[in-house]
Amino acid sequence: MRVTDRMIFNNAAKSTSKSREKAQQATSEVSSGMRVVHPGDDPAAAGLLSGHRISESRFAALVATTGRASDELNAADKAFEGLSELITRSREIAIQYANSTYSGPQREVAAEEVKALFRHSISLLNTRADNRYIFGGNLDSTPPFDNAGQYHGDQGIRRVEIAPGVVEDASVRADIVAKGVGGGVDALATVQSLITALESNDVDTIRDTLDPLDTAITQTANGRARAGAILAVLDSANMAARTARDTEKGNASREADSDVFESASRMALAQRALDAALTASAQSFQLTLLNKIR
Amino acid sequence: MADLLSILSQGASSLDAHRASTATASHNLQNVDTPGYSRQSVMLEAVIPATSTTNAYIGRGVRVETIRQARDRFVESQIPSAIGSAARASSEAQSLSTVHVLNPDMAGGLTSALADFFSGLRALSQNPGSTVLRQNAVDGARGLASSFNRTADGITSARTAIDQEIEGAIHEVNDLATRMAALNVEIRKARSTGAEPNDLLDTRAKLRDQLAEKTGAIPVPNSQGDISMTIENGMALVSETSAGQLSIVPDPANDGFLKVGISLSDGTGPFSLSSLGGKIGGLLNARDGALKNAANAVDRLAFDMAEELNAVHSSAYALDKSSGHNLFQVGSDPHQAAKNLTVNPQVSANPDLIATASSADTVPGDASRLFALIDVENAPLAGSGGKDATATLSQIISGYGTAVQRAEAYKENSESIRDHLLNMRESVSGVSIDEEIVNMTRAQRAFEAVAKVITTTNEMLETLMKLK
Repeated sequence: MRVTDRMIFNNAAKSTSKSREKAQQATSEVSSGMRVVHPGDDPAAAGLLSGHRISESRFAALVATTGRASDELNAADKAFEGLSELITRSREIAIQYANSTYSGPQREVAAEEVKALFRHSISLLNTRADNRYIFGGNLDSTPPFDNAGQYHGDQGIRRVEIAPGVVEDASVRADIVAKGVGGGVDALATVQSLITALESNDVDTIRDTLDPLDTAITQTANGRARAGAILAVLDSANMAARTARDTEKGNASREADSDVFESASRMALAQRALDAALTASAQSFQLTLLNKIR
Repeated sequence: MADLLSILSQGASSLDAHRASTATASHNLQNVDTPGYSRQSVMLEAVIPATSTTNAYIGRGVRVETIRQARDRFVESQIPSAIGSAARASSEAQSLSTVHVLNPDMAGGLTSALADFFSGLRALSQNPGSTVLRQNAVDGARGLASSFNRTADGITSARTAIDQEIEGAIHEVNDLATRMAALNVEIRKARSTGAEPNDLLDTRAKLRDQLAEKTGAIPVPNSQGDISMTIENGMALVSETSAGQLSIVPDPANDGFLKVGISLSDGTGPFSLSSLGGKIGGLLNARDGALKNAANAVDRLAFDMAEELNAVHSSAYALDKSSGHNLFQVGSDPHQAAKNLTVNPQVSANPDLIATASSADTVPGDASRLFALIDVENAPLAGSGGKDATATLSQIISGYGTAVQRAEAYKENSESIRDHLLNMRESVSGVSIDEEIVNMTRAQRAFEAVAKVITTTNEMLETLMKLK
């Protein structure tokens, strides 16, 4: 084949340009750590990358929501625990003052203690988390229990997404635990009845509160058990969401990130090729008759 | 019989021949880097003897038979088409690869906006009465709408930029076509003198290649030596000694993007062109192929998502116990839905209007309809063949990527064919400095030899003159 000077120069320009492009691409991959930036870099990986990123974000959101729901349930559990202790103390007072040896004034003093326990119970049942009342059902912007122990929430149970498209209960109804809705005892009314009986020195009524207070303690324990069960579900969902999020992150990284060792060796190869192209070009430029006949 | 004076006379004409050789080598050397230049060679021939002496013919020196260009017609006939194909693939690949709005990891791109929007809804689902989370959800919705707007604008900008490039290329093509028709006239005239106008032929070949590069036009030579250039359906852009003109008009059926037409040299037209080649063809292919498909798919996704979300949202109850609010504003059909998508201004101004509850009595804590909104993320969309939003977006991105990759692969392939043919042409027609220096030295030596002949003849004449 006849080789002209233009061919030599064109070839030198083309081969060095190509080598430079490859070296630049490899350098960019090594420095950015990214293999897929434009959809054209790897169409299938780009499409998958988008899906993985959205999934990663979806599971990260689930981690956050299940985490917050867990926090609220923990707050509910603490409130029920406190309520249980207060009812237990009320029952202890009831047992103590059901004994006929106590006088009316002594029972009045005991009534003051139970009143304080009642007020504390109300404040526990009006617990707020994340700026809302966690025992109000859907009506969570106002205190669900008034000072008389009346419930003003609804029967709504808050729910939370624990996996994409899967929604689970994330609250325990306080109207069941504290007010006995659906067949239990009204713990608050019983405590109020105890207060009235202590104030009026009515030993029989004091005795009558013992069984309902027992039931109320059991109700509270059931509420805590229910909260614990939901917490277990939420914790497990949270763990699963974390794992899924990390898996999606790993999948996204596998699609988008460059293999550092592979990129580095490709960069070294590209730089070597560029060096060779430049050397060959420089050599070919010197080999001309012009240099010999001067 | 060759007398001394005729030898002197022959010497003079032989000097001319060798001077022509030197001049041609010099011309070649001076054009060593001229694009489209084909090296020329002087064809020398011995002057046929007119007289004989005794039983032998005595030669009469040398003369220039012709100056010929080195060309390989077979290779050259394939070059315009190869140039057109490479330019088409190259311009398409270049146009597609400069669009970045569909990059999967782009900050503020559709991927992150879609993820942020649904994350905002999920966060709100945990506490639907929260003002902060409502504002966050509205911001997510705004972000999604803006991302669709930006994506649509990015694609439209790319298509508009292509139109501007086409407009510039059309002017160049019309100028090239006019010059080529004029060159056909000039070449006809030059040939009428009997000589081959080599440099004019080179210029015309260059114009031919440029027209092929811009439009994919195919050269059609005729018996008179003219070269016409035909494009789609045999319509002539250059018809022998006259040129047609390409024109552009906005096409209402294609969102006002430019439509290319041709007015023929006989005054007919303009005729609409739908399958141009070359750079313009590649640009049109990018504009009305992958970019248009991506724009339509993004519009469809925006429309379907907005419709699905609105259907759920309008049936739910807001914090103020009202209902019937759309979350997004989108037109009545998918056309330009991505560009026009906005968050309902009422919702945007008042995050309390994000509807989450299934009943007016269950606000603010009821998130049941919010879960239905979130479910839209995984619901099959009307125009996506059973795919959900994420899968549809992935398909749009990978579909666009595949188009880019295909264009890049075709570019590599067609450029390599073009480069190979150009290399072959260069191998035949290109100038080699070494060769030309040798040619020039050879001509110089021949010139010196003839000069010696003249000197010797002169001395012989002088010897004769001195005879007494």
